[in-house]
Order: sequence, then C-alpha cells, then structure tokens
Amino acid sequence: MTASRRLRALSGYLFALPYLTLFCGFVVLPLLFGLSLSLFRWEILSARPAQFVGSANYQEALHDPYFWKALFATFRFVMLAVPPTICLALAIANGIHAIPRKRQAFYRAAYFLPTVITISVAGILWRWFYNSEFGLFNAYLGQVNIKVPWITDYRWAMPSIVLMTLWWTVGGPMVALLAGLQNIPVAYYEAAALDGAVGWRVFRHITLPLLRPVLLFVMVLNITGAFQVFGQVYMITRGGPEMSTRTLVQYIYETAFNNYRMGYASALSWLLFLVIALFSVIQFRMMREQ
Amino acid sequence: MERDSLHPLSQRLTPPPPSRRELMALATLAAGGLLTSCGRGGSTKTVVRFWNGFTGPDGRTMLRMVQRFNAQNPDVQVVMQRMDWNTCYNKLFVSGLGGRAPELFVVHTRAMERFVRAGFLRSNNDLITGVHSIDTRDLDSNVWQGVEFGGKHYGLPLDCHAMGMYFNRALFQKAGMVDRQGNPLVPTNREEFLHVIKEITHPGKEGKADTWGFVLTNWESNLYTFMRQFGGEFFTPDHSKCVLYNPENIEALQFCVDLIRRYKVAPQPEYFDSWIGFRQGKVGIVFEGIYMLADLQKQKDLDFSGAPVPQVSQHKAVWADSHNLCMRSDLKEPELSATWRFIKYLSDNSLDWAEGGQIPVRKSLRAAPRFESMKVQSAFAKQIPIVNYLPRLPFIFEFQTEFNLALEKALRGRATPAEALQNAETRMNGIIARDRGNG
Repeated sequence: MTASRRLRALSGYLFALPYLTLFCGFVVLPLLFGLSLSLFRWEILSARPAQFVGSANYQEALHDPYFWKALFATFRFVMLAVPPTICLALAIANGIHAIPRKRQAFYRAAYFLPTVITISVAGILWRWFYNSEFGLFNAYLGQVNIKVPWITDYRWAMPSIVLMTLWWTVGGPMVALLAGLQNIPVAYYEAAALDGAVGWRVFRHITLPLLRPVLLFVMVLNITGAFQVFGQVYMITRGGPEMSTRTLVQYIYETAFNNYRMGYASALSWLLFLVIALFSVIQFRMMREQ
Repeated sequence: MERDSLHPLSQRLTPPPPSRRELMALATLAAGGLLTSCGRGGSTKTVVRFWNGFTGPDGRTMLRMVQRFNAQNPDVQVVMQRMDWNTCYNKLFVSGLGGRAPELFVVHTRAMERFVRAGFLRSNNDLITGVHSIDTRDLDSNVWQGVEFGGKHYGLPLDCHAMGMYFNRALFQKAGMVDRQGNPLVPTNREEFLHVIKEITHPGKEGKADTWGFVLTNWESNLYTFMRQFGGEFFTPDHSKCVLYNPENIEALQFCVDLIRRYKVAPQPEYFDSWIGFRQGKVGIVFEGIYMLADLQKQKDLDFSGAPVPQVSQHKAVWADSHNLCMRSDLKEPELSATWRFIKYLSDNSLDWAEGGQIPVRKSLRAAPRFESMKVQSAFAKQIPIVNYLPRLPFIFEFQTEFNLALEKALRGRATPAEALQNAETRMNGIIARDRGNG
C-alpha cells in the first residue's frame, strides 16, 4: 500500500521534473540572482567592480521621483485597463454563450484574433491609427471637425494606450470566461427559471457566483499582466509625452539597458515584484472571504 | 544570438504562442546558422559579422555595398545584421560583456565615450598606416577628432550626418519669397528666417493655420543647434558639472517657444507628425538630418530643396553626428585584416553611401563631380567645419532623457525655459555625482 503510494508520488514528481528543472533554472535562479544583485552597485560601464551597498539601491528608489512617477503611471494603467477588460470580456463571453453553439467558433476566433498579433505589429498599427495628422481615427473625426491629440497630449496618452490594450487583450479573458460559462450546469438555470428568476437576477445570483474561480483566475492574471505593461507603451509613446506613460517596466528596462545600472534596476524589479505580490494576495483573500 | 533575444523581459511580455513573426525569426536564425556554418566549413571564408541600426532606406544602400564587397572578396563573408539603434546598442553591450561581440559594428560619435570606457573597442591607429592605409589628412579633422580618446582613434568615421534646412520651394513661391529669376530667397540669418516663415504662415479655414512657416521636428537636434548658436554651454570642459541652465540656453529655448506662442509661425511640436506635415507640403521650413532625404525623395509631388541652417545668433553651429566603424577590442587574425579591408572598402566607396542621403567625410570624395551632383548632400556638406557633436559623456542617454524632457515641457508651455533647464541641470548634476562615486 505505502509502497505503491510512494511509487505514485514518485511518478508525479517525475512528470513534474522537466518543468521544475526549467522553472528553477530560468525563473528561480535568475530571481535570486536579481535579489542579490539589487544589494550591489554594479554599473557595467564603469571600470569599478561590483560593490556591496546593502539597501542603498532601495533607499535611492524611495527618493527617486522618476520611480514614483513610473509607479503612478503603472497604477493608472492598471486602474484604467483592468476593470474595462474584465467587464468587456464578461459581456462578450455572455453574448457568445447565448448564440447557438455552431456559430460560436467564428465569434470566439474573431474576438481572440488581436491577441495573436505580436505587440510590435499591433503597436505600429495603432500608432498609425492614433497619428493626429494623418491617422485613421482623426480622419473620421475630422469629418465632424474633431481633432484628438491621442498620443501627443499628456492627458490623452494613457487612455489611448488603454483603449489599444482593450482591443489587443480582451480575447484571452473572454475565452477563459466563456469556457467557465459553458461549465455551469444547465440544471441551475432550469431551477432558477422554475422559481421565476429572469435576466439580471439569474446573472447576479447564479452565473457570477459559479464563475468566481474563473473570474479570480482571470483577474489575477490580468492585474499581474497590467502591472508589467511595457510593449504597448514602448511601441506607441516610448513613455511620453513628458514621461506620462513611462511605466515601471520601461523605467527598469531603461535603467538596466540604456543606463547600465544593473543593481538599481534589480532593486526596482524587486519593488515591482512586491507590489504585484501584494495585490495578488489581496485578491485571493477577497475572493476567498466572499 | 538566441540567448540574447530570449531576454527575460521579452519572455514575460509576449503572451501569445509563437506567431508568424516569431516563426519567421526562427527561420531567419536557422538560415543564419547555415550561412555561418558554410563559412566555417569546406571553404576558407573568414566571416565578419557586422551589426548596425540601418533599418531604413540606408540599410538597403548598405546591403548593396556589403553584397558588392562579398562578390569582390571571395575569401571574406560579411554577414550584416540590422536592428533599430536602441536594440543594437543593448545587444552590443550584452554581447560585449559575454565576449561574443560582432567583429564590426557602428557606433555614433555621441556614444563612443561609453564604449571606449568599457574597453569594448579596438584602436585603429596601427591599421590606418598599415597595408591597407587610409590618409587621415583626407578625413575632416573635427570629425576624426570625434573618435579620438587619449591620443588613440577607436573608429573610422564613415559619414557626418549634419542637420540642415529643408525648404518647400512651392510655398516660398506662393508667399512671394523669390527673387526676380524666381529662385527662392533662402534665409541665412535671424531676420531673413523670421521674415520668410512669417510670410509663409497663413491661416486656413475655421481660423486654423493651414500653412506653417516652420516646425520643430527633432527637438533635441534643433535646440542643440540653436543653443550652440546663441553660445550656450552644456557642461564644464572636464564634464564634471552640468551648466545647462545659463542665459544663452534660456534665450535660445525662449526663441523657439516664441516661434510657437508669440509669433505663431510654428505649430505645437508633435513628434514625427510634424515631419509628416512638411512631407505633405503644409510647412515651409524644417531643420532635419541629411538622413531624412531619402524619405523626401519618395514624395514625388514635393518640390523641395536643401541649404545650410540659418545663423540665428552670433555663433556658427549646427548639430551633427557620425557613424563610426568600430572593431571589437580582442579581434584576432584572420578576422582583423578581413574586417579592416571591409572598413576601408566602405570608406573608399562612401560616395555610394552618400547617394542614400549621407555626407562622406573624405574630402577627396566630396570634391568629385559625382558628389556635387547630389544637390542636398553637397549643400548640407558646406556646414561640416561648423558641426557640433553632442557632448561626449559616458551617461549620454541619461543626458538625452533629461534634455528632451526639459525641451518638451518648455515647448508645450508646461514650464518656463528657465525652470525646465534648471530642473534638468539639477538632475544631471545628481547623475554626475553618482557616476563619480559620490552619489
């Protein structure tokens, strides 16, 4: 009995081994390397060797206005992007769920399609759309005498990035939520119908609670992803105007690979990691308590 | 190569499964692998890897030169890889640290200092007088000095891409800014410049200006030119202190702000869109690098010409940079001589390079009738004696970030020129202190 159980456990570990090896080699080790790096002052450019500085990099970050600006921009992006993405994905998933199964595949693919495009292509495409002189959007808006400074005004730039992100990323959560919807047993809806529940109340009291695990999954993925926003911003605005869209990952990237300050960049990365971890824990708590 | 492109950041940021682009990249990598292995295999070809950021039309010009060299030199195989400049510099540093840098690569004069300081570059003083010698007296002395560090030269300048004035001949004509023969009255000083752009600017429908006299496209190169013309300094000569916040620079920046707000002869600057405005024939004058020429030549309906930048204050100055052909510091034979042979080939044939919108820095080549027939190139080339490179700083990219932010704030009216420059100066001095180990 115990022998076979042990064997089973062993085979489980064996199955997990290839992934675990890669995970340790390419995630855990670099993470720990980054953590130790964050305690050093190491600037590739200078002739000076790496020097242990303790928490100096973290202290510098706390007094660095660009760090706070980037953190603010990141939060702004998360707040503006995540709720609409989830709501829209939920709405689309519900819509697709309601149409006959045979025709679902087409709509599912259509909404998922933008997600497949790499960010460099999508970014260039939207930069053209947003161009205030000859872009697609202003060409249409121009006919009613409106000219929007999509990405050239510091007030408009972030919402524009969010709009593009919505188009680009809504497909992923939508597919997950649709699968979740299709997993809800029909019996619940039938019972609700017998009790006379319709429309919003069915959605509120049956669909949403049963969708909670999927929703949690989608939200956590979405929020952690949004905190790491980089591609869209880098392709469309390069962090401008006036650094209003320079997010933390871009700042980390520039610190490490334009300014070659590896220690400081590692410290910034760990701060970002802490922020994301904190938010993930809060979300799991909230969903569990409900 | 593969390890470089699988950067941890890009891994985290690319959500979807392999796309067509990625598959194509894989295919290219595989093809590249084949090529290299061919070179190392049966034949005795020496492979010279050549990285640069020529991703525009200049890349096609360079590719033709590479192909011609490969055809003429059967024992050498130059394999060129093009990527945008940011990526190129990042990859150069990462590969340089790992000891896998390409044999040959291009570094701008403004970025030389950091590469030299990191010990990545090989000086070429022994080669330039060797078998395949180049007469350095034929090079423009100020351009040649740009690659000199501690008495040694660490690159061979291929060109000098100075900024110049592009102007729309049709708009000059329309505004009556022509002489009796109908030739445009090209402005050369502040009064003429202001006069011309005021005449060209006129409001279109709904009270909006339809045609603009001038527009700021690249703020950095434009303002650097103006500030140098006003006599502004950026750093103390030993680069120990930033002195950006000075009356001359403030005046120069105010001059540009006034063009937008006071004289209303230039629209709000909008990055690259402003350049599109010139291409569409809505703007009379822009100051841009010679490398933008190819872009304009594609625009068949645009009647434009080129001239030196007007002198708007007491000094002569114009922004420029150079592409320098640099070698890895630990380059050995046979790659070393093969690489140098290719470098010399590019320099000797830099008129081909000029054709694509560049100015060669070999005086003998510029004297050739073929160069004189390149109208815009030869007009811009007149400025070579007065070109100003950005200060040679190890932290040049940080300086550019701060400088551009200050310009953006002032030009958009979010700060006065004095406030913006003072702020940037303070930040820069913090960076210098940190770099020197006090911060």
